[in-house]
Amino acid sequence: MIPLTWLRAWEVGVVQDISGKPGFVSRISATGFSLNTEVKMIRNWKWGPLIIFLRDTQIALGRTEAGNIMVRKKSESK
Amino acid sequence: MKANNVIVLAGQPNTGKSSIFNRLTGSNQHVGNWPGKTVEKKEGAFKFKGHLYQLVDLPGTYSLTANSAEEIITRDYIIKKHPDVLVVVVDASQLERTLYLAAETSMLPVKTIVALNMTDIAEREGRKICHEAMGKQMGVTVIPMVASKNIGFSELLEAIKKSVENHDPDERPIQQEFEGEVLARLNEVKGLIKGLVPSPFTEDWMALKLMEDDREVREIMRKRLGPDQCLHLDKIINNGLALLVADSRYKWIQKIIDASETKSHDTKSLLDKRNKFDKVATHPVWGIFVALGILFFAIVAAMSIGSLGLPFLKIVSLASDGARILLGPGPEWLSSMMADGLIVGVGIATALSFFLMGVFIVVGFLEDVGYLPRLAYVFDLFMHGIGLHGKSFMPFLMGFCCNISGVLGTRVVDSWRQRLITVLLIPIIPCYGIWAVVSFIGTIFLGVKTPMVVLALLITAALHLALTSFLLRRFIVKGESTGLIMELPPYHKPNFKTIWTYAWTNEKGYLKRGFSIIAMASFIVWFFSYFPEGKIETSFLASTGSFLNPIGNLMGCDWKLMAALIVSVMAKESALPAIAILYGTGQGLSSITGLASITSGGEHTHNELASILMQSISPESALAFLFALTFSIPCSATISVLYTETRSLKWTAGASAYYTLSSLVAGILAYQAALLIF
Ligand SMILES: Nc1nc2c(ncn2[C@@H]2O[C@H](COP(=O)(O)OP(=O)(O)OP(=O)(O)O)[C@@H](O)[C@H]2O)c(=O)[nH]1
Ligand SMILES: [Mg+2]
Repeated sequence: MIPLTWLRAWEVGVVQDISGKPGFVSRISATGFSLNTEVKMIRNWKWGPLIIFLRDTQIALGRTEAGNIMVRKKSESK
Repeated sequence: MKANNVIVLAGQPNTGKSSIFNRLTGSNQHVGNWPGKTVEKKEGAFKFKGHLYQLVDLPGTYSLTANSAEEIITRDYIIKKHPDVLVVVVDASQLERTLYLAAETSMLPVKTIVALNMTDIAEREGRKICHEAMGKQMGVTVIPMVASKNIGFSELLEAIKKSVENHDPDERPIQQEFEGEVLARLNEVKGLIKGLVPSPFTEDWMALKLMEDDREVREIMRKRLGPDQCLHLDKIINNGLALLVADSRYKWIQKIIDASETKSHDTKSLLDKRNKFDKVATHPVWGIFVALGILFFAIVAAMSIGSLGLPFLKIVSLASDGARILLGPGPEWLSSMMADGLIVGVGIATALSFFLMGVFIVVGFLEDVGYLPRLAYVFDLFMHGIGLHGKSFMPFLMGFCCNISGVLGTRVVDSWRQRLITVLLIPIIPCYGIWAVVSFIGTIFLGVKTPMVVLALLITAALHLALTSFLLRRFIVKGESTGLIMELPPYHKPNFKTIWTYAWTNEKGYLKRGFSIIAMASFIVWFFSYFPEGKIETSFLASTGSFLNPIGNLMGCDWKLMAALIVSVMAKESALPAIAILYGTGQGLSSITGLASITSGGEHTHNELASILMQSISPESALAFLFALTFSIPCSATISVLYTETRSLKWTAGASAYYTLSSLVAGILAYQAALLIF
């Protein structure tokens, strides 16, 4: 398991765990992140927020927030 | 049958609720391609087959957990107001996520219809959904729609009618079943709270919200549960449970999609399509250049649309001269009031209205194609520098048009602390009224240096934001910062009707409010500078203004400029007519003639008002005035929304005092600096 921020652009991960305050968990769940969700990193530069594609949606996510999301890297990225 | 049935529109942000609302009721609610435009519930009415229905447009919400004001507004409305029919709007091109809210409503006791909107985009992206299969799976009627193109409305209306008329007790909300661990826990919690749930809440819903650790529901139930039950509840509920609930909703959604999607889009080509422009627009380096370029072109475009209004000023100046001649035989105060007071004010207001129309059209365009969230993304880092995140950038951007929309726009910011800070910072952002004054005064006194002054104002504004935000975060609104969670919607083709409606609605708002305020301000200024003796030197304003001399001296502003500063609290742009009237009256010239030739540029030497102004105000004073005006207390309308949004007299008064001080400091510093530099 690695934090979401470790995925590089175009790599795919599968969400394993989401931690943080209840408000954050509910907010992030409603925008598409939940257990076993497949997420694709679109932008991950050295700075600034990430852009992630999941459930037909592009989400911009702050690095701290993304750090609360643990993923398993999918070996093969389509 | 009730004569007036209530239908409500709910859904995730940016799914097209307001587009549906506008079509049905003929209203002009804010429509644009970014999440979070509607921040308050809006009511309207429509007629169908001789029957009157009341329609309510609710703010978009990702979920119904009490995390933000919109979520509470939405769920309170559905639970407490007992609407007859709930229309849940989902976006067919982002179905998986937008169905989440539909899943959440499944526990609410209200008849539901699902509007499957944006089927045009879904189709373009290669996705086909069978609405009948979807409806069967969800247990409700599903209506495919294209709200922006008037497709699907008659079906929606029929469905609403049928649902309202149908008294079948079987008519139910969306059906979602839980299984496994979630179901077991749900039953356990339901057992605990049985008989203790206050109406109009239902046990199912309360139990589920407890499992999701909803702040509000937890408080309601804790008051009713005994200590043992509370302990028991604490044992059942943990972070993982909320995740499981969310997971079960997405599983249910997946089942719906599997059953109803006849053709699916493949992620790769979808991303290629959606990402073409984003490759540069969200690039960490190019993105900033793109943003600055677009903002620059936006300003140029807005200005050129605005300049169409300039010939109009000539007409106004003729009117002013005409009034002087026509009213010449009458009492002197009357012709002075018309020619020096009212016509000047109305003339300036009109010229501004063209400029504003330009701004509204350009902003409407950027909004409609969906560029705004990209701006928020690109400027996130800058916003971090002032302790906020990208989402606060949108209210700031709106603040450049008008601080009022900026303050209201802060509702997209999720955390209260962050939102409060954003609200309190908005007055630093120079609004259109200030830009109008800057370009006018700048052209007269500073000539070619005006762009430098604009730059200086912007840099000062950025520093001011940083400083004020630092002070707020460090000493006043302490707490943790939160980061960005923001959807980047797919770009849309510009819909010129939407853009026009947006621009025209805002323009009308300005004409209604701004116009009368400017006209009133000009009248008041004229009145107090004319009476009691018909001479400005002995007027009421002159005698009161001299009180301010000690401060005015420090920033090189005479009492007339100080008076203009005070008048600007009514509306920033009313400083212009104030100056024109205060320096123009008694000089035997129509001040509007001056304005007309200044704004059309070039003819400085022939311009009487300009030369009078040049004689009475030094460039240093003019600069000080601009700084004092830009960083001063916001206009009265903004102050009133500061109050309604913070719901606190303390914050409103505090901000007003702080920005009054900031105005004086900015004025004094600018004056002293100008004395050194010029
Ligand atoms: N292509 C297409 N665009 C649509 C459709 N319906 C709405 N839009 C556009 O989608 C955007 C969002 O529509 P709104 O009506 O503002 O959405 P909303 O649900 O009220 O959004 P919030 O108030 O922010 O929650 C606008 O740019 C609309 O013009 C549709 O069926 N097809
Ligand atoms: Mg809306």
